Amino acid sequence: MSTAQPLPAAPAVSPKAAPAPATPPIVEIEKLDFFYGDKQALFDVTLGIPEKQVTAFIGPSGCGKTTLLRCLNRMNDLVDVARIGGGEIRIDGINIYDPRVDVIELRKRVGMVFQKSNPFPKSIYENIAYGLRLHGIKHKDKLDEIVEKSLRGAALWDEVKDRLHDSGMGLSGGQQQRLCIARAIAVEPDVILMDEPCSALDPIATAKVEELIHELKTRYTIVIVTHNMQQAARVSDQTAFFYLGKLIEFAGTQKIFMNPSNPQTESYVSGHFG
Amino acid sequence: MANDSSPEPIAVSHSVRKQLLAPGKFRLFGKNRDWWIKQFFEGNAALSIVVLLLIVFTLFREAAGFMPGNRHNLEVYRRAGLEYVDILKRETDAVAALGRELSATRLAWFEALRAEGLSSEDANERLAALDEIDTRLADASGPLRDIVSEMTDHASGVKERAKVAEDMREVRANLLAGIGGSDSERVASLKAQAEAVEIETIDYPTEVVALTGRLPEIQAANRSLSAELGAIVAALPTASEAAVAKRLQRFARELEEFRAGLPRAEGELVRWRADEPIGFFESFNAFLFGRTWVTASFWQDWYGVLPLFFGSFFISVLALAIAIPLGVCAALYVNQVARPAEQRFIKPYIEFISAIPSVVLGFFGIAMLGETLRLVSQVPWLSWVPGFPMQERLNAFTAAALLALMAIPTIFTLAEDALQNVPKALREASLALGATRMQTIVKIILPAALSGITAAILLGFGRVIGETMVVLLCAGNRIAVPDFSAGLGVAFQPVHTMTGIVAQEMGEVVRGSLHYRALFMVGSLLFLLSLAVNYGAQKIVRRYRLPQT
Repeated sequence: MSTAQPLPAAPAVSPKAAPAPATPPIVEIEKLDFFYGDKQALFDVTLGIPEKQVTAFIGPSGCGKTTLLRCLNRMNDLVDVARIGGGEIRIDGINIYDPRVDVIELRKRVGMVFQKSNPFPKSIYENIAYGLRLHGIKHKDKLDEIVEKSLRGAALWDEVKDRLHDSGMGLSGGQQQRLCIARAIAVEPDVILMDEPCSALDPIATAKVEELIHELKTRYTIVIVTHNMQQAARVSDQTAFFYLGKLIEFAGTQKIFMNPSNPQTESYVSGHFG
Repeated sequence: MANDSSPEPIAVSHSVRKQLLAPGKFRLFGKNRDWWIKQFFEGNAALSIVVLLLIVFTLFREAAGFMPGNRHNLEVYRRAGLEYVDILKRETDAVAALGRELSATRLAWFEALRAEGLSSEDANERLAALDEIDTRLADASGPLRDIVSEMTDHASGVKERAKVAEDMREVRANLLAGIGGSDSERVASLKAQAEAVEIETIDYPTEVVALTGRLPEIQAANRSLSAELGAIVAALPTASEAAVAKRLQRFARELEEFRAGLPRAEGELVRWRADEPIGFFESFNAFLFGRTWVTASFWQDWYGVLPLFFGSFFISVLALAIAIPLGVCAALYVNQVARPAEQRFIKPYIEFISAIPSVVLGFFGIAMLGETLRLVSQVPWLSWVPGFPMQERLNAFTAAALLALMAIPTIFTLAEDALQNVPKALREASLALGATRMQTIVKIILPAALSGITAAILLGFGRVIGETMVVLLCAGNRIAVPDFSAGLGVAFQPVHTMTGIVAQEMGEVVRGSLHYRALFMVGSLLFLLSLAVNYGAQKIVRRYRLPQT
């Protein structure tokens, strides 16, 4: 690492996120090895994600943070060549890669918000009601109630309450992403995975989503992958830094950004590479 | 040089400089190579458009002459009294149909008696009363038949003379058209020849009087027919066998209906006027809604496209009913479920079907499919299937099954494209919410791809309705509107198609004749139909395209 340049100031850690002591982990990742065909993408990752907190995965492109995120709800099953090489992931003590586990049930408990907002080409109302119907909720009044609750939960209700039956594709980028969050929380998952949820949004929309994440963590365990270190610093309680498929350091966010114990972490958070 | 103090030119290697700056040496008529290349591509595009315009123009120009031609055809039909005779003919035809019905009833009764154990002599004896009625029925319409026969001869004679007169007029016109040039001797000879051509002027009103003048005679014949039929109904024997009794009752009912209809037919005859003009739209309607297509007939030619249109449409709908589930389901499987190895196998395989020449499919249809279907239809325990056992080996269903095979690649490929265009993110979003693969396909993927799939189906329809060879070989080619009273069994009736009739008759038709123009009309109709289908498909795709983000 070059020492000729002055170190840029580490991003400020928001006081709101500051001193949250780690709660007992709800998701435990143990000695996980993961492969795409012959190429190993994750090496011996061990990590406990605390309940009702925000855990951020950071690291340069291709470091395996998104791969790990998608392991948590087995979205990697959709990739033909993807396979677990060793280790396990337990949610509430149950190994989710156990053959007896119903992947459909797992995904109901572990919701996901994607990098690019992907509302269904249906109305705003139907976007949210879709997941509810999958779970067997058919009654109109019940659906209305949960749709409203979810939209309020995603801080979108006031903006769309008059046009619930317009297409979800007609919303702005930030609104679409909050609609996707509303869709995810409607089915009351335990964990919400967010894969760079703000990377396609402008700063104002980003601020709204971040604020929302803050509110959501009182009720959900949130895992967020982000490229944006300021964002990680602002929203997360715990931060895990990955590099080349390995977990380099995992600690409270404040510690990672102010006082990292690993020199690689330090040079990444201070912007020397990545 | 404007500026001497300009800096040294940048040193560029000689060859690069040559490529960049040298104007091409090629020159043709003062134009460089780029210009000619541009012209070449432009010319190709222009040529395609010009050819298309020419085709459209020819099609409609040839078809345009049909309307006045057919109007004239119908005019002669009326003025020469053929129409009048046809009204009467319908009466005698109806009596003949009643006679056939009676014979069929007799046969059924005879078999019933035999089944009861009577010898054929005894059975015939029992049926003697019925046989007598049969004879009486045939005799009853005798006078009317004689009248019709004489009137037919007269009317067709008049029509024949009209046709000869028309031909002669044409001969004279041709001779006169040949006049020209300076050879005075030749001109004089042609003129003399032209004048020597005898053209008969046919006085239609007096000719028709020979027909309408017989009205009292017809009315008398009708009266005696009606009386005789009444007597027949009264004399109809009763059968103890339930089925036969039922048939006899129906026969009696039909006889009475016919009797009741006689005054109406008579009224038609009384009201008929030979000089009633034929409107332009009557000629058009006779084409579009006419139920008969009869050509080169000694009596009267009819160019009604309805049975052909029905045939084409019916076969296409049947074919799509087979092809849509197969094509769309195959596309869904390949796009959503299949492993890459399966995809690599299935896709080219289905697309290969479109490489089979349609004539090959056609004789496969005749030799294999038609034959097999007929054998299958004769299996006794399958007789519950509507339309089984099949009357004809070649029918709408045979052709539709093969056309479906031809439509599947079109529908499959386009539907697969439509599914491919559904963003993968939607699928992931649905799965991440805990949907199963089937739920995702049915509730998310299929609705999102629906416009594309609809377009695929429409284009499949266009492909099927324009197909010629298979329908010509396998559809059975009977020119009649399918009898939908047969229920689902209607699928096993032979039909003829618009494409088939053009292919079949175009080779033998006299250029410029009314028949020739009628075929062009059929072609134009087909053209407009495919145009509408393709336009609709494009509109749908554009209207419902997903926003590409």
